Amino acid sequence: MTKTSGLTRRATMALGASFAAVPALGLPGSAHAAAIAPVRGGKMIYGRYADSLFLDPVLTDANVDIWVMNNLYDTLLSPTDDGLGLQPGLATKWALSDAGKTITLTLRPDVKFANGTPMQASDVKWSLDRCRNPKNGPWPDLVASIDSVEIASPTSVVLKLKHADPSLLAALATFNTGIMPQALFEAAPGDTDEAKSKVYSLKPIGTGPFLLADWKLGVSMRLVRNPHYWKKGTDGKPLPYLDELEFQIIPDDNTRLLKLKAGELHGTEFVPFSRVKELKADTNLRMELWPSTKVNFLTFNVRPKLTDGSANPLSDVKVRQALNYAVNKDAVIAIVTQGLGIPMTSFMSKTTPLHVGKSDLYKADVAKAKKLLAESSFAKGFEVSCMTVAGNADSTNILTTVQQMWSAIGVKLKIEQLDNPTLTKRYRAGDFSMRVSGWTNDISDPNEITSYFAYFPNIASLHSGWQDKKVDGLFDASQQEVDPVKRASEYKQIQEIYADAAPILFLYETPYPVAFRKNAMGFVQIPLGNNLFEGAFLTK
Amino acid sequence: MFVLARLLPGDPVSAMLGDRATDATVDRLTAQLGLDQSIPVQLLQFLGGAVQGRFGDSIAYHIPVTQLIADRLPATLTLTGLSMVIALVLAVPLAFVAALQADRWPDLIIRGVFQVGLSTPIFYVGLLLLTVFAAWLGLFPVGGYGDTVLEHLWHLFLPALTLAFSFAAVLMRSLRGAILSVLNAEFVDFARAKGIRQRLILFRHVLRNALIATVSLIGLNVGSLLGGAVITESVFAVPGVGRLMVDSIFARDYPVIQALTLALAVLVSLAFLLTDIVQMALDPRVGR
Amino acid sequence: MRGRLALGFGCLLLGLMLAFAAFPDWIAPMDPLAFDYEALIAPPSAAHLLGTDQFGRDMLSRIISASRVDLQIAFFAMIGPLLIGSLIGLTVGWFGGLADVLFGRLADLVVTFPFLVLIIAIVAVLGPGLTNMYIAVACVGWVSYMRLMRGEVRVQRGQDYVAAGRVLGFSTWRIVWRHVLPNSLRPVLVYAVTDMALVLLLGSSLGYLGLGAQPPEAEWGVLIADGKNFFTTAPWISLGPGIAIVAAGLGFSLVGDGLANLLDVKR
Repeated sequence: MTKTSGLTRRATMALGASFAAVPALGLPGSAHAAAIAPVRGGKMIYGRYADSLFLDPVLTDANVDIWVMNNLYDTLLSPTDDGLGLQPGLATKWALSDAGKTITLTLRPDVKFANGTPMQASDVKWSLDRCRNPKNGPWPDLVASIDSVEIASPTSVVLKLKHADPSLLAALATFNTGIMPQALFEAAPGDTDEAKSKVYSLKPIGTGPFLLADWKLGVSMRLVRNPHYWKKGTDGKPLPYLDELEFQIIPDDNTRLLKLKAGELHGTEFVPFSRVKELKADTNLRMELWPSTKVNFLTFNVRPKLTDGSANPLSDVKVRQALNYAVNKDAVIAIVTQGLGIPMTSFMSKTTPLHVGKSDLYKADVAKAKKLLAESSFAKGFEVSCMTVAGNADSTNILTTVQQMWSAIGVKLKIEQLDNPTLTKRYRAGDFSMRVSGWTNDISDPNEITSYFAYFPNIASLHSGWQDKKVDGLFDASQQEVDPVKRASEYKQIQEIYADAAPILFLYETPYPVAFRKNAMGFVQIPLGNNLFEGAFLTK
Repeated sequence: MFVLARLLPGDPVSAMLGDRATDATVDRLTAQLGLDQSIPVQLLQFLGGAVQGRFGDSIAYHIPVTQLIADRLPATLTLTGLSMVIALVLAVPLAFVAALQADRWPDLIIRGVFQVGLSTPIFYVGLLLLTVFAAWLGLFPVGGYGDTVLEHLWHLFLPALTLAFSFAAVLMRSLRGAILSVLNAEFVDFARAKGIRQRLILFRHVLRNALIATVSLIGLNVGSLLGGAVITESVFAVPGVGRLMVDSIFARDYPVIQALTLALAVLVSLAFLLTDIVQMALDPRVGR
Repeated sequence: MRGRLALGFGCLLLGLMLAFAAFPDWIAPMDPLAFDYEALIAPPSAAHLLGTDQFGRDMLSRIISASRVDLQIAFFAMIGPLLIGSLIGLTVGWFGGLADVLFGRLADLVVTFPFLVLIIAIVAVLGPGLTNMYIAVACVGWVSYMRLMRGEVRVQRGQDYVAAGRVLGFSTWRIVWRHVLPNSLRPVLVYAVTDMALVLLLGSSLGYLGLGAQPPEAEWGVLIADGKNFFTTAPWISLGPGIAIVAAGLGFSLVGDGLANLLDVKR
């Protein structure tokens, strides 16, 4: 019985070796689906960890809505399955003119809403006008560059922009620009847009592959096939393949997996990483790891003083760099994700357009960490606390590991578990030292993540208080930059400056872990998180 | 509870929006929800609405709170009701056996088993039952609630059993005590002396005394059963008000917290009232 | 005789826990916080009698060192309600009047809320952690002690020795403090031992929800929660702490029962 403390040299090397083989993040589901001819009909039951709350693309604010809404609504363009490009949606063609200040969209002919009424150019104009109204919901900023929406003909719509906007096409592929039927929405009872929306979104009608038939809030959601859907399957007939799709809400991870194993579910999301190996070994199941935009990190508060007036060690860039060098990301990945994550190479994930990263970003180097700390104004080490949401196993595991690694350079970490609203209030007020954070993009463009992480004027760089005037300038320029090469170079500089300044502890990227019964196929989850069931089917 | 809820640090809007929220968005949504008003004003608005039966809309779910609670309440009521029935079925016969065999082996075994039941955390019992009976043996569905009444009972059996464990232990113990005290009481000796058959003695006195003890215990334990439902409901994915309450506390969904607190308090008070009435009917000494 | 046996067994269990809690470093084979990257999630073996968790920490050592936190919870979550409840019960039981009615109503109000929900709400206000948990339990748990104490005091008040004390010219203070209190305390103390089992379970439930003990300070409920995701693949992570909770709970209940029998307190 030997008392082990710290990373032994051998152990570190062993870890290094086992993680050289990073899981190849190919597209897991498509290979299966391509090999087997889809079968029509049937009902698929999918277990979700939480229910949707508000199925209005404009007013919603939660991933539980955003990630399933594409099954009900379509956007004019849509992101490709790898999340990097755009493909036609309700618009078949788009053309830029007037130095990028005018966008002409050709609408797909004969598109019908799920209730059978035809979609018209006026529905498109109304939907876009509604989602860019600054009074509506949290998302108008994504389409703020639109000056006016004009109906040029029954099959084409023209967008006049205030300035050229390189991310607007991506915005037209983002959930909040989903097209809704104007007449139906306005017929809903209520005086205000919000009141109408409350009624309408309980029984939403869109042009998407499914129609919401029955919704027991917090319990289950039953979607049925939209018979009018425009997209065709591989057999040349309209999608979707399934007759019915039921979401069952089971918050407890363990219970959800037991249900999957018992055959009461066909598939489920958010498989805990600790269970992936077990499910992979189960011959009745198929584990799918979808590439995602999910980054996991700790946010530092870099303000010179903490709210209690004491000097803040994290305001010193050398301290932040030292903390980064002291953490062995591979070991964290091994413990928290059972080896399923990959180290972050920039603040944005590899799946984000214009990502530029360093493959060995802050590669563990305790000697260098010690040296940097010795050069800083906190050479003697210090005590620091990190907030996390109570009961979140992954966060607690990250902190327990990091705590041990930092102790090697004389930094004592105190773990503070809080409930979510308390934690949110604290960091919004700048009243924290560190917190465990995660992020997924909502749009196939680097601008959203950058505006929250690095651009100070938006939310003070994740409320960290970090500001770099050059980054702010580069970002402002990139938002109107029509030359793709120049825009890429601006993003490269932003990412390099950010990595050096280290306002966060860079940890790892994780895929979306989804598991299905062997006979349930064709599901796709894109890096933004959207769950696509239009091509899903059941064999046997 | 209204004040307690408002004392909770943080607010529903920024908690919901998370990182993506800008200050402007948070302010706008807060104003829309009327949460920018002072607490006394909000309290007045709540009381004014409550008197007229209006409790507002859930902040998280965007539907009327009354509808939300009406949807969830049946599951919790069935769960607690079923667990009471299971506890009675387990505890009553065993309490008789234990009392009649007092301090012999059957008594010791029964008490030992219930003692262990009482000492095991509810979430652990739930986890074990779920894994063994539902996942491994496949005898029961793994959580959920089902669609028809029969399915409800079928789905709720394991969670109800989980919940019943500790209650059955409390019930068994005090029933055993009640039966023993009757058996040892002087009037039983007196009855025996008068030659009435032993079975009749048991039937009349013991049963009635046991019943009184049981009824008062049920009343006292409704609150803790509803509390235990919080954990059982999340382990077994039962869509009940226990889970809703905890979720609402963590989401700062004030309207739900307020209305649900009121509903639960009314329920527990009703249970108290009911047990008082039953007790009065059973025991002429009570209430005189 | 068998009652004594149960009491003895209960004492043995508690004694064992106390020994763990008093000298964790001597008894535990390893440092409970030390990682072992070469033995992550290792099943029980000669090196790790109860296996290791996902950090490679020795489970046996973790369980032993957690016993200190759990016993601390059992004690502190019991003592607060006991002191507050008994004091109020003693006062209102003796003097009666408006205070008696007021506290009676207040107690009724508190018990109409589901216990656990109220605790969770209070912990959410104060923030997670053991101290705040004690405060939350004290806010709710005093009711049982108050009712028990009040009932006893009202019985004692009618006893002959109280009247005798008055005749002898003893002050109210002396009668209450020296005579009524000691005579009423017995059922309260017996209940307190059983209560320690209940608050121990409550503490571990909150720990399980992440609202109790904060890492790296481990408590059995937290250990079970840590092992929850490995329940099917690595059951040893959650089984050991589970058994520990049951054993401690059993210990307190048996001792409580045994004391009740020994002191002839009606339950």
